[in-house]
Amino acid sequence: MAAETSVQIAIASDVRLVDVVHGAAERVAEIAGFAEEDALSAALAVREAVINAVKHGNGCDPALSVDVVLEAGREGFRATVRDRGRGFDPGAAPDPTAEGNRLRTHGRGLLLIRAFVDEVRFRYAEGQGMEVELIKKRRAESAA
Amino acid sequence: MMKAGLRHAGEVAVLDLAGKITIGEGDVVLRDKVHELLDAGKNKILLNLQAVTYMDSAGIGELVACYKRAREKGGAVRLLNPSGKVFDLLQLTKLEQVFDTFRDESEALKSF
Repeated sequence: MAAETSVQIAIASDVRLVDVVHGAAERVAEIAGFAEEDALSAALAVREAVINAVKHGNGCDPALSVDVVLEAGREGFRATVRDRGRGFDPGAAPDPTAEGNRLRTHGRGLLLIRAFVDEVRFRYAEGQGMEVELIKKRRAESAA
Repeated sequence: MMKAGLRHAGEVAVLDLAGKITIGEGDVVLRDKVHELLDAGKNKILLNLQAVTYMDSAGIGELVACYKRAREKGGAVRLLNPSGKVFDLLQLTKLEQVFDTFRDESEALKSF
């Protein structure tokens, strides 16, 4: 997806900074042509990826950064979120909607990410951490 | 920052929540308010979500934690008027099958 404009943000692994990325993601999604509801969906997906990176990837170590790139293009919105962690197997997470898991207080982040964007890719590189790529495509009703 | 106003309707404590229930903010407010109520013996709690704009996974997790805590104390947490994104999130997570959810406050109050 070719970017027309982009934002790069590096935050310390501090959950108080998640809102900073959320706000930027919502605005970039609006620039990409999404209406309020869909821009919030895109921002919520980015938010969950950042929470995962801060908590699980970087273990809330404030010395470790989470690097975020947000892009708006003709085709839609793209985000990458990179932590400094050891990676994880996204397929191994239990289904939080399964009847026996619904009263769990954790484990819904990936569900939300997958629900709110069109494409999700996970890439892990030794020594570089885990990168999550999120893409939300523009549809006719989202076009400005 | 999420706001939480408290009203009492008979034995039921109604928490009027406004804003977002998200990590490090709204989830903490919700936890503290529900803890205070349960510690005070108020275990019938109605969460009015009408003015809640959205939740993240941490906020949803805290909602579930409150539900479980109230149940452990022999009480209940029920939901009033989840709308927009909050309603979507409850459906997506299938928590609408866990929580008793109401559109009408008087019906909700009668249910306890």
